[in-house]
Amino acid sequence: MAIEKKIEEEKITTLLEDLDSLESYIRDLFNFLPLPVFLLSPVKIILEVNPAFEQITDYKIEEVIGRSIEGIFNPEEIESLIQETIEKGSVKVKEMVLSTKTGEKIPVSASTVLRKSEEGDIVGYFFSLFNLTDIKKKENELINTQKSLLNILEDTEEARKAIEEEKNKTQSIVNNFTDGLLLFNQQGKLSLVNPQVEKLFGIKQDQIIGFSVEELASLPGFIPLVELLGGEIKEAFRKEIIVKDNLNLEVSTVSMVSDGQKAETLVILHDITREKIIEKMKTEFVSLAAHQLRTPLSAIKWTLRMLLDGDLGRITQEQREFIDKSYISNERMINLINDLLDVTRIEEGRYLYKPVLSDIAEITEFVVKSYQELIKRKKIKFDLKKPAGKMPKVLVDVEKIRLAIENLLNNAIRYTPVGGKVVISLSSKDKEVQFSVQDSGAGIPEDQQERIFTKFFRATNAVRIETEGSGLGLFITKNIIEAHDGKIWFKSEVDKGSTFYFTLPVE
Amino acid sequence: MAKKITIMEDEELILNLLQKKLISEGYEISVARNGAEGLKLINEVKPDLILLDIIMPEKGGFEVLEEMQKTPDLKNIPVIIISNSGQPVEIDRAQKLGAKDWLIKTDFDPQEVVDKVKQQIG
Repeated sequence: MAIEKKIEEEKITTLLEDLDSLESYIRDLFNFLPLPVFLLSPVKIILEVNPAFEQITDYKIEEVIGRSIEGIFNPEEIESLIQETIEKGSVKVKEMVLSTKTGEKIPVSASTVLRKSEEGDIVGYFFSLFNLTDIKKKENELINTQKSLLNILEDTEEARKAIEEEKNKTQSIVNNFTDGLLLFNQQGKLSLVNPQVEKLFGIKQDQIIGFSVEELASLPGFIPLVELLGGEIKEAFRKEIIVKDNLNLEVSTVSMVSDGQKAETLVILHDITREKIIEKMKTEFVSLAAHQLRTPLSAIKWTLRMLLDGDLGRITQEQREFIDKSYISNERMINLINDLLDVTRIEEGRYLYKPVLSDIAEITEFVVKSYQELIKRKKIKFDLKKPAGKMPKVLVDVEKIRLAIENLLNNAIRYTPVGGKVVISLSSKDKEVQFSVQDSGAGIPEDQQERIFTKFFRATNAVRIETEGSGLGLFITKNIIEAHDGKIWFKSEVDKGSTFYFTLPVE
Repeated sequence: MAKKITIMEDEELILNLLQKKLISEGYEISVARNGAEGLKLINEVKPDLILLDIIMPEKGGFEVLEEMQKTPDLKNIPVIIISNSGQPVEIDRAQKLGAKDWLIKTDFDPQEVVDKVKQQIG
């Protein structure tokens, strides 16, 4: 019996020893666990915590054992978690917020297991926590990264839309442009054609896209354009070509330079057929009008001239005087028509046509000679000042320059009173010759000086002195001088006189 | 022997004045009042010089010049244009068709026309 008891006792001792070492094992494990773990009683009193728990909450073991968990977790949250644990026996990873001793909020994920006695009564709950701070931080970083990625994507999308819009705009401009547009790429191949080109040449763009200039020559109507551009697509600015009857085009090219290298060439075709027809009509009209107006005047002129020259028999002195005056009136009419024709030609841009190397002094002397009589009649003190030696020659249309000088001299004499003074001066310096004519006449009122070169303008005092006058002389003169790359200007004072100057470049 | 001049001009007064002036200078004058008549005339007369108006009925001055160019006998007869028109394009065209000079009637006296004629044929 005693032996049995002893054996029993030994067994118990062994069991107790085992239990001790198991307990120590569990305690070690409990202490070692890096996850915060704690045990809660059914009434939410903290029964046990491990060092990891101390660490996360900043509470010492002795401060928390026996305390309610509600200071550490939100009471409602913990209640709901406990209810779920009771229902399911365990809960895995439930996100909660833990308040530390210092009041810091730490996001954690909690897992729970229900502890029951052998009788099935609830004796408590095991909690294990996982600190989510780092994960949350990472998550936030991830969210931010994602956000910025989305932003970038959005920007890209906006940029794409803007480009798309820009492209549509450009496309719409190209398509609706009234001029024909041909774009040749760097390799000289046609890469873009607008509908206007299709209309002008009666082709479809698929027929010519990818063609070089030379290849275009195989298509009807393109030959004049190809001849103008040449294989290397020469520079052109408003060059006129005739594609066929009633189709005149003005061709311009634009080189699109990128990084200093010629990249693409845009060829612009402007339809000038209508302008050409109008121009032709205008020329024909002017020609006709000139003919119609001049025909009776030339008949009168020739008759009077031959009468004056005695070709048609002797006339009396009195008859001569009347005929002479008629002749002068007729000449005035002829001059007016000539002025109008000159203005028309100036406006057509084809007034100047035959420049030759000439001596400005010779031209001036020629004009002066034809005014000698008038100068004498008005008792004007006239002088022509010129350099002693030869003046450098100028490349001019002699007839036009003669007309310009005549207009200026005529004005000077006409608006200078009897007995006044007119001086022409010629000089040369720095690659130009200068002409000036000074008078002691009426002068130009200051408020009208700005308009003096305007077509049909006559100063008020000029009209008072002489009612006749087209108001075209100075307009024509200015155009003649500027067409020769010269300059024209004047100085004037009312009742003192005017000086008109012009310069012409020496070749 | 007097030099022969043919005048083609539809304006009667101008024609009469020129004719009178040139006869007084000792030339032998034949006249036509349009281009078609004028071409027939110069084929018969073979003048030393032609004074040619541009705007005329039947055939105008340019047509006369063109036909003269095609006819070897007429090709080399000097022509002076007398016209009331005178745009650069017209003057250039006449020059290309062999005309020697272009005189705008309002800008020349009959005496100056005579001088131009003398320059050409003496």
